[in-house]
Amino acid sequence: MKSASERKTWQIFVSIGSFFAVILLWEVVCRMGLIEPIFLPAPSQVLTRAIRMIEQGAFFEHILASGRRVMVGFLLAGFLAIPFGIFLGTSPFFKAVFDPIISLLRPLPSMSWIPLSLLWLGITETQKYSIVFMGSFAPSLLYVIEATRNVDPVLIRAAQNLGAGRKDLIKEVILPAALPQIIAGLKVMLGIAWTCVIAAELVAARNGLGFMIMNGKEYFQTDTVLLGMLLISLTVMGIDGIFRIFERRVLPWIP
Amino acid sequence: MGWVFMVVCVLCRPVPVTAGQRLEQKNVVYGGSSWLGHYPVWVGIKNGVFQQKGLEVQFQQFHASSGRMGSLVGDHLDFASTGSISAIALMAAGVKRFSIIGTQDSYATVEGIIAREGIPSVKALKGKKLAVTFASSAHVLVLDVLKTEGLDPKRDIHLINLKVSEMPAAFKSGEVDACAAWTPVFNRLLAMKRAHLLLNDTQFSLFKEFGLGPGPDVLVVRNAFARKCPNTTRAFIEGYFQSVSELKDQPEACARVLTGLTRLDLKDQVNVLKDITWYPLDAQSRLMVNPGSFVAGLQKLADFLFEKGQIDRSPRVRKWIDPNLLPGG
Repeated sequence: MKSASERKTWQIFVSIGSFFAVILLWEVVCRMGLIEPIFLPAPSQVLTRAIRMIEQGAFFEHILASGRRVMVGFLLAGFLAIPFGIFLGTSPFFKAVFDPIISLLRPLPSMSWIPLSLLWLGITETQKYSIVFMGSFAPSLLYVIEATRNVDPVLIRAAQNLGAGRKDLIKEVILPAALPQIIAGLKVMLGIAWTCVIAAELVAARNGLGFMIMNGKEYFQTDTVLLGMLLISLTVMGIDGIFRIFERRVLPWIP
Repeated sequence: MGWVFMVVCVLCRPVPVTAGQRLEQKNVVYGGSSWLGHYPVWVGIKNGVFQQKGLEVQFQQFHASSGRMGSLVGDHLDFASTGSISAIALMAAGVKRFSIIGTQDSYATVEGIIAREGIPSVKALKGKKLAVTFASSAHVLVLDVLKTEGLDPKRDIHLINLKVSEMPAAFKSGEVDACAAWTPVFNRLLAMKRAHLLLNDTQFSLFKEFGLGPGPDVLVVRNAFARKCPNTTRAFIEGYFQSVSELKDQPEACARVLTGLTRLDLKDQVNVLKDITWYPLDAQSRLMVNPGSFVAGLQKLADFLFEKGQIDRSPRVRKWIDPNLLPGG
């Protein structure tokens, strides 16, 4: 019988091995000329593109531009969604009042906000933040409402019986109980916020990963397109890691 | 009665005009847009020119040249017209799946930079916002004239990457001070209050040297299609240049047909047509020859795009030019 740590080490080795096997297979297939580079460039070609962009200084400019847009729009959505969601999750009356509006906003893709945001905010960075915000806010709000409503009612009743007021109830019972689900929801939303930034950078952008992908498409630089996609994945994975560290510090009781 | 109907159908079916040559395929898919380079195919379809050749041409609309050319090399289109920048970008990517078979027009006066009043020159654009669709011929024009005037496109001017269709709204609301656009949006911008023409394609350095705009239109064919269906290819090209002749000889009549594509007023449409120089079939062998001004101009354009960092290498464009596919070629 393998111990848990041995199993984990084994799993990590298998994952790393499968990752490199796929990369190797991809490189071999491309080098053999089975796929034309315009349809799928080799990993080495993508790497060469990355090195070239680092040398030109464009690499980090694109990451930082998109990262800033995501962070501003997403953090704003999160900061508003958490208190508002808890408020709606604990007040059936206000939930009933706001429910139709949230239900109308939730299915709207971020792309659909582009025409209105252009009219309201013009061709500015604020317009790009707003696209990320509008794409993330309503779904984040729903996650928070659901997390709040899923708190064990026995805990709430027990606290109330012990004389906890509404403020104490939220601070001492609902928030700690709902926080794991809220953070899990926000992690999902972060991925969605990155899809929103691509939409935001379709209009009037001259930097950012979305711009990089679209500009690469215009000049048939498929390696640039793939690099942009890869950078989005890696950035989301990095931020996800930061979220986990935050989770472990704020919620040490969660395994 | 069935046999009578069949006989009538057979007698009435369009007969290919390419005498003695059977078409390998009747259906042809063409990639177009409302840009003037696609007028010949639109007119050819609407006036029944292709039908007379025994062809059914499907006009597939695209918003950008990159999408059109991507579809062509992905085997979803048979023919397309494109601004040469997309074609050059594909050449730079090493794609050999298509050939340039002709150039149908020159349009030097229906693309350019339109500025609001108070901006009398390119130099006066310093510190201002200029809307331009990146990776377009207008973008090349902007980079060229800024270079000529000694302005840095990254530091001296705010270039706003905007789709050409979004420019009128941005210009009207004051979001941008100038726009680099092409027809039909070019005409709409020019008609706006307090707007004036700062410059057009005739100010492009290669126009002065070779008579070429920043992204001359070219007619391209998918090589696999041309190999598989040589008679169909020739029939399409014949119909295409027959339409070019109609556009040249009967602009008023063609304008009426074209308003359905461009949504321009008839008067504006006639004016646009008058601004175009059409190159008929008999001019192609002169234009496509290497060495020659058109091929040399395209090569210079490729070199310019490479120099500006838009493409990774400058391809030898003559390798993609194949006038042999032209009737009589």
